[in-house]
Amino acid sequence: MTSTLIQVNHFSYRYNQETEVALKNVHFEVASGEFVAIIGANGSGKSTLCNALVGLIPNYFVGFSEGSIIVDEKDTAAVSVGELSQTIGLVFQNPFNQLSYTADTVAEELAFGLGNRGVPREQMFSKIKEIAELIQIDELLDKNPLELSGGQVQRVALASAIILEPKILVLDECTTQLDPIGSRQIMNIIKKLNENGITIVMVDHDMERVAKLADKVYVIQHGTIVLGGTPEEVFCSPHLAEFSVNPPDYYEITKKFIKPGYSERDFALTESQAISLLQEVILYEDRNQKPQA
Amino acid sequence: MENINNSIAVLVRKLNPITKLLIVFCLGIGCLIYPLPFVGYGVLCLLVILGILIGQGKQVLKLIVGFGIPVTLMLLFIQGLYSPNNKTMIADFGFAQMGLEGTMYALKISSTLLIFLAAFYLMLQTTKNSETVAALTQSGLNMKLGYLILASLNVVPQMQRKVKVIQEAQESRGVETSGSFIQRTKAFLPLIGPVVLSSLTDAQERGMTLETRGFGISGDKPTSYIKVETTGLDIVLRMIAICFLISSLLPRIL
Amino acid sequence: MRQSFFRRFLQTQFSTKALVLIPIAVGINLIGGTLSSTLKLPLFLDMIGTVLIACLAGPWVAALCGLATNLFLSIVTNPVFLPFSIVSVLCGLVTGYLVKAGFFKNKLGVVITWLACTLTNAISAAFITIFIYGGATGINSSSLFTAALIATTKEIMLSVFSTSILENLIDKGIVFLIAYWLVKKIPRRFSSQYAPLDKDYLLKGRKGS
Repeated sequence: MTSTLIQVNHFSYRYNQETEVALKNVHFEVASGEFVAIIGANGSGKSTLCNALVGLIPNYFVGFSEGSIIVDEKDTAAVSVGELSQTIGLVFQNPFNQLSYTADTVAEELAFGLGNRGVPREQMFSKIKEIAELIQIDELLDKNPLELSGGQVQRVALASAIILEPKILVLDECTTQLDPIGSRQIMNIIKKLNENGITIVMVDHDMERVAKLADKVYVIQHGTIVLGGTPEEVFCSPHLAEFSVNPPDYYEITKKFIKPGYSERDFALTESQAISLLQEVILYEDRNQKPQA
Repeated sequence: MENINNSIAVLVRKLNPITKLLIVFCLGIGCLIYPLPFVGYGVLCLLVILGILIGQGKQVLKLIVGFGIPVTLMLLFIQGLYSPNNKTMIADFGFAQMGLEGTMYALKISSTLLIFLAAFYLMLQTTKNSETVAALTQSGLNMKLGYLILASLNVVPQMQRKVKVIQEAQESRGVETSGSFIQRTKAFLPLIGPVVLSSLTDAQERGMTLETRGFGISGDKPTSYIKVETTGLDIVLRMIAICFLISSLLPRIL
Repeated sequence: MRQSFFRRFLQTQFSTKALVLIPIAVGINLIGGTLSSTLKLPLFLDMIGTVLIACLAGPWVAALCGLATNLFLSIVTNPVFLPFSIVSVLCGLVTGYLVKAGFFKNKLGVVITWLACTLTNAISAAFITIFIYGGATGINSSSLFTAALIATTKEIMLSVFSTSILENLIDKGIVFLIAYWLVKKIPRRFSSQYAPLDKDYLLKGRKGS
């Protein structure tokens, strides 16, 4: 029943006056409701890809492109970024660069995108209230956005994107500058949004989180997608190290101590998988040791 | 903005920012047009009284004394003693004579300046900048200009704080901020370089944010979260302001 | 008709990318003020940002930046600065068009831009000081100097103008020196986003599709 929401068709891109292409023949699809993770080393083209998905490339950045990106049946080159933002939202790394700098309060900040779209003032209130509850920023609504912590501002940025009711949310390392508590709060919200049906495309460095949340993982290197599939397919690939990506720590650890026979699986990618694997190991040991005792 | 909540302060604060702007403009220009400077000083007294009523008296007086008196003295010196229009001499200082025409001109300019200064100050103290911009955009100011005013007001203090933090860090690390001119320049330049360059990349990302929030998309007429009302009092005050401007023109025409 | 031309002009000259530079440039202009007070100089140095933005985004964005700087100063410090917006706008335009004509590429060009900007500023500022303010806008070192000149030459126009030109020659000299130094430090990855498109389609030697 899933339909294709994003279609990246052999897309290449080079920034103006650069000697290297930033994206090279990138080709993949994202289905409606999917949680897609994009991983890769620094400078591999992940951010460029995010900017291309939301239409900032080619509409905001200056450069040359080839191929096309179709988001919800709209060609990103043919519509403005503003129009596209009703379909696809973006949250990126630096929280303080995601404020409009025109608002005195968080409520005004959330209203900024609605105002640009001409949403009547009366409708703004109910929308702001609804989104503030969802993103857990209701107690911040009267505060000055410039006086909040990074984690709080990032939640405001997330809310400002979500309030435009996009079908897809692109997250470009949106927790990198946050402390562990702040980033956990953001990730919980993102998980909830995905459960509510919003398609997620997330660039992340936390491999365990990727393994836990993503339905599909793409590895990108030198602007090209070099590997793609389910988290298990990707992280168990023997070529992973060639693409400067490491699997989650659990994978390395469990791979080392799991001997054949312990369990049907011989690896774990996430904490919960590791726990259940460990329980199986303990059960196995118990079973095999009792008769001797 | 101080929170003085007597009824007059509340009333002034509730006025439409456009009304306040119009009053500032009409008072200033009106006094400039009117041939004699005394109207200006009369208006200035009224502004001081208004300032006192809304709890800003001290600040307004400080502004007038701190800026107004030096400027007036300077203008009296330049225009009063050396204006080429001086014909009627009213005083002789030995090295120069004081002319009536130049003196009147100096007084008029200083009174106009002070009216603008005091009226504008009172307006700023009783109006949120975001309200002013919302009122202006709702009456047709380009969105982009509105953005520029508000963003500058928010971004600049942030950058100044950044520079101050670095400056303090430099000082605590013992970097010379005193000493010869060359020394001081050498200490300061590496300090602002990184702030300038990082701010530029920040600007690029902020532009991305504006775009993805649909800033400036054509087609829809933008709306604002801030409500700006035009009450009966606004209309009356606007009429009075315009009447004042017109009546100051009369002696020139008649 | 006129309306649509104006709107098209706004749309092409003031893209979002250029617009967001302006608050930053206003900030840089004002940091210049902090710089001069730290260095204990009787100068403004309030055009560094305008010169930078003229190099990146062209004359009209620089002009708007000048306007925004004076608007900011008027709101935050003193409305006396408002009429001087014209000076900032003119300086932005002059600098912007000279940069556009390629004058910022070598040191001689920078010197010419500096002199042109100094002249523009001195003349327009003198006009405003005389015709709007009657000769002085407060008591500071430059207005005292003007007053002394007036007392000796008895010529208001000449005195205000001489003060203005002397003041601006030094002020803009330092501004252009710092701005030139800063412009060269802007990473190409950033400045290329404001530069005209290069000729190669995707890459040299690579066939476009």
